[in-house]
Amino acid sequence: MKKHIVTTLFFIITVLPAIIYAQAQTVEKADSKDLDRSVRPKPGPAPVINIGNYESFTLDNGLKVYIVENHKIPRVAYSLSFDYTPVIEGELAGLGSLTGQMLRTGTKNLSKDQLDEEIDFIGASLYTSSSGIYASGLKKHNEKLLELMSDILLNPSFNAEELEKIRTRTLSALETEKTEPDAISRKVGQKLVYGENHPYGESVSEKSVKGITIEACKDFYSNYFQPQVSYLAVVGDITLEEARVLVGKYFSAWTKTSVPTSEFSFPARPSGNVIAIVDRPEAVQTNLSVSYPVDLKPGTQDAIKASVTNTILGGGTFRLFNNLREDKGYTYGAYSRLTADRYVGIFRANTEIRNSVTDSAVREILFEMKRLREEPVPSDELSLVKNYIAGNFALSLENPQTIANFAINTAKYNLPDDYYTNYLKNLALVSNEDVGTIAAKYVLPENNYILAVGNAAEIGPRLQTLSKNPIRYFDFEGNEYDPSKKLKPAPAGITAEGINEAYIESIGGEKALSKVKDVTINATTNMQGMTIGFDIFRKAPNKYIMKLGAGDMVFQQVIFNGSEAIVKSPMGGGDQKIEGEELENLKYESILNPELIYDEIGVKLHLDGIETIDGVDAYKITLTKPNGKTAVRYFDVATNLLLKESTDQGFIEYGDYRIVDKIKFPYKIKQSIGPQLVELNVLTIKINSGLKDEKFSIN
Amino acid sequence: MKLKIGIVLLYCMTFLPLQTIFAQNKIEFREYDLPNGLHVILHQDKSTPIVAVTMTYHVGSKNEDPKRTGFAHFFEHLMFEGSEHIGRGEFDIIAMNAGAQLNANTSFDRTFYYLLLPSNQIELGLWMESERMVHLKIDSIGVETQRSVVKEERKQSYENQPYGTLMEKIFSNAYSVHPYRWTPIGSAESINNATLGEFMEFHSIYYVPNNATLSIAGDIDYDQTLALVKKYFSGIPKGTKEIKRPDIVEPRLPAEIRDTVFDNIQLPMVAQAYHIPALGTKDHYAISMLTTLLSDGESSRFNKAIVDKQQKALFVGAYPMALEDPGLFLAFGITNIGVEPKDLENAIDAEIDRVQKELLSDREFEKLRNQVEVSFITQNSTMAGIAESLSDYHIYYEDANLINTELQRYLSVTKEDIQRVANDYLTKDNRVVLYYLPKQSM
Repeated sequence: MKKHIVTTLFFIITVLPAIIYAQAQTVEKADSKDLDRSVRPKPGPAPVINIGNYESFTLDNGLKVYIVENHKIPRVAYSLSFDYTPVIEGELAGLGSLTGQMLRTGTKNLSKDQLDEEIDFIGASLYTSSSGIYASGLKKHNEKLLELMSDILLNPSFNAEELEKIRTRTLSALETEKTEPDAISRKVGQKLVYGENHPYGESVSEKSVKGITIEACKDFYSNYFQPQVSYLAVVGDITLEEARVLVGKYFSAWTKTSVPTSEFSFPARPSGNVIAIVDRPEAVQTNLSVSYPVDLKPGTQDAIKASVTNTILGGGTFRLFNNLREDKGYTYGAYSRLTADRYVGIFRANTEIRNSVTDSAVREILFEMKRLREEPVPSDELSLVKNYIAGNFALSLENPQTIANFAINTAKYNLPDDYYTNYLKNLALVSNEDVGTIAAKYVLPENNYILAVGNAAEIGPRLQTLSKNPIRYFDFEGNEYDPSKKLKPAPAGITAEGINEAYIESIGGEKALSKVKDVTINATTNMQGMTIGFDIFRKAPNKYIMKLGAGDMVFQQVIFNGSEAIVKSPMGGGDQKIEGEELENLKYESILNPELIYDEIGVKLHLDGIETIDGVDAYKITLTKPNGKTAVRYFDVATNLLLKESTDQGFIEYGDYRIVDKIKFPYKIKQSIGPQLVELNVLTIKINSGLKDEKFSIN
Repeated sequence: MKLKIGIVLLYCMTFLPLQTIFAQNKIEFREYDLPNGLHVILHQDKSTPIVAVTMTYHVGSKNEDPKRTGFAHFFEHLMFEGSEHIGRGEFDIIAMNAGAQLNANTSFDRTFYYLLLPSNQIELGLWMESERMVHLKIDSIGVETQRSVVKEERKQSYENQPYGTLMEKIFSNAYSVHPYRWTPIGSAESINNATLGEFMEFHSIYYVPNNATLSIAGDIDYDQTLALVKKYFSGIPKGTKEIKRPDIVEPRLPAEIRDTVFDNIQLPMVAQAYHIPALGTKDHYAISMLTTLLSDGESSRFNKAIVDKQQKALFVGAYPMALEDPGLFLAFGITNIGVEPKDLENAIDAEIDRVQKELLSDREFEKLRNQVEVSFITQNSTMAGIAESLSDYHIYYEDANLINTELQRYLSVTKEDIQRVANDYLTKDNRVVLYYLPKQSM
């Protein structure tokens, strides 16, 4: 037997705060008498933003070197980046990554043990990857560090045993990624956006990692890790002269041959929005992203304007954040990126929201994208964003690595030499019209991959309301599957009707239930720090009252006399008749034990299969009411008890069943109401206390 | 593909104070106490035209009512709601219009707010920070919105992450009476129940000048900055309510505590937590060095033996959660596929046993000292970091100059000290052991 707390609670949530806390409070503390606090201080004269100097030179083998001196701390950092064209790895996806890791596992001169010991002994950091080598250490150990770095780069041993260790760890790491929402979203998202035949769309899989050999690593190394496509940034406590000598000494022996280049086509955008789900039945929150590829290259006319345009939308605590977090409280954060790239850029908005607002969050993100295209950006908002970007630019200069990055980007992307010195000037020139033009070109609310990593049973029906096309389902590696086959089939011979009967039996049986003439339930919940009481009265066949209050106060009362319903709000708002769809819902919900009379009231049942709910196997049954509305009920396979029910209004979970007069009732009930999740604790239940019909009068 | 374990840990560590910070180049600073009790620390560095304005309130989750866990952190969110002269939602806008970055975080022991500004905006930063000390303004809309936001933060950072409940489980098992038995994020139930009146009361007790440290680092002029600080803060009266500081002493564990958590994970995790002395005690430094020995760098004991040689773990680490009151030393690892958690635990125990029985070699000890020296030198590289370190040293040690001298305390630790603290604290009867196992294995 279950209880309903449907429409009424919604009133409480929206109306209550206004009743209880009518005005804001201010903590007043006496102030210094002569200070007028209402005056917002003006800034002092603007400081000069000095980008800082760098020096550069090129070795004979083509390695381009950039030096930034900074003597604040006696440390030198070297970042070497391999800038080869991205490679399609196909069946060996992950090859570059494993090759990069292999560099750190031993040289022809030093075993892995020796290398680890040497690096740690001088307290240095040294990392290798498919895109380069980073090393940093104290000035006094500078030459030792370069010796190690150069040995790692030039003389890797490619020991088969070390490859096996990396393979084992990679397989384990892939295992852990299956439970990380961000990792799943990244992997599946990139496959959708770039396609699996693009280097950016590939990712390592169990199958691919098992196929990678030492020979393949060696080939990858000699093909792609070459000086003429690489950049070395030297930053820290070192002079240009010292750097010239040392870099020449340790990197000149690096020889070059030709680097293979690969070709790949620009990924197509979907013609309409594609909604995709990766099912994590255990998820308590949805990881949501909205993304598509863009043709936006770094350093072009559009790049700075695009950065301003995206920042307005979600490049910080701006529109998406203000809408989804500060206005609606859906999330801890909501952001977007519009990334320029030489090969394929990307737009991606992302947020983590509670399950019940997954569809609303998508609507709001798309709404903000449309708004940016359709409405001119107010000037004060544009200047806010430009000030914010300019501030970030200035603050980023604290880190000397920024200066080296600027220099390397200038070379890599063929930017004008004064690109960064003119950055603030060009930023200031970005106009409202520019933002409109850029938004029209790059912000595309109708060509998205909308990817939700979350509990499909809860969010699927919600997301389906956004589109006529069926939702597409993917596993955590991005392989598409048919969700109707995902449910485990129920064993042969089990029927929906049989499960309904077993449920009736499990809560006391038809005989006991049909003796129930009325039920009185007292329950409480906590809301906004107060305890709210629920008194629910039901009388056969379908009379119903729900009264909400605290202490002697009644906030609200819903009464259904069997044909008509009314909401009474003694705290304000007066009485209101319930009509239309709400009344229809109430008529169904007021039936004392609808399970006993499904045939009579025209409810059809369908057994969908077995699904896992919070780790428990449950029969999933879809109910279709005469008006065409559906509800899904989940029954514990082991106990036959009702665990959960979901409708287009949200979901209700039942637990802590206890016996009252031979009938089992749930004492813990969790219900989603709009964005809220309300937990009801039942205190007492009385059966057949002789409720009078008059009690249910709506007059 | 990068291992993602770092991220998992980061979630766990978000609320912890930064590890102790050192410097080789001397960091000059000046300190003042205003008559209302506000402690002020200024550090000048003119190399970049920026300034970090940071305010630390000496209140964290350990000051909370056990029925209101997560309160200090929830309150931190409300500090961005506005004040008498800053409307709801304007706090961020004013900062960003000034080209500033801002944020805050809450630990067991303190709550930290920072504004990183172009240096010509320092007065604005001081005005903003003083506004929310003198008359923070909160209304029910703000409270209800942040209530939802904090619940989603809790899910995003903990509940919906594999191993995300690790810190909660460790602290709730390791402490029975001390308020460290809950973590700063608190419980969802408490977040539901906190009321506006309670927030106002909390502000009047803890958000007072005599419970705050204002630490400023960057392109500043000492005299002008002090004058501005006085202008905005000297008129704020001293708090009159008693500041509650827990004096609860956690008793020794009666015996080893073992527990199993079934989580949405694929690979088991083993986590051990040993009770250790508070921040700043002599043994704290030896335990810190011991941690480096066990887990810093690929040649460290745990990494070399367990990850590299025995291949029992995808990841193993050690972390000293040194806190204002006695904290915990953590050792934890995620197994490789097919490795039993007991196997991994035995391997961790074997390494601890080795430290307890064998004195480390001179060469290894020298390596350790080199590693400590480097972290000392490199961690003081940003203005925000320096400002935070100065105020942490002031609050926890009452000696901001430790930013220059603390290295000596590390370097005075001997090999014998390291062996001794391993024997004194890393014992079975002083620990909690948790196994995280995949739910499907239940």
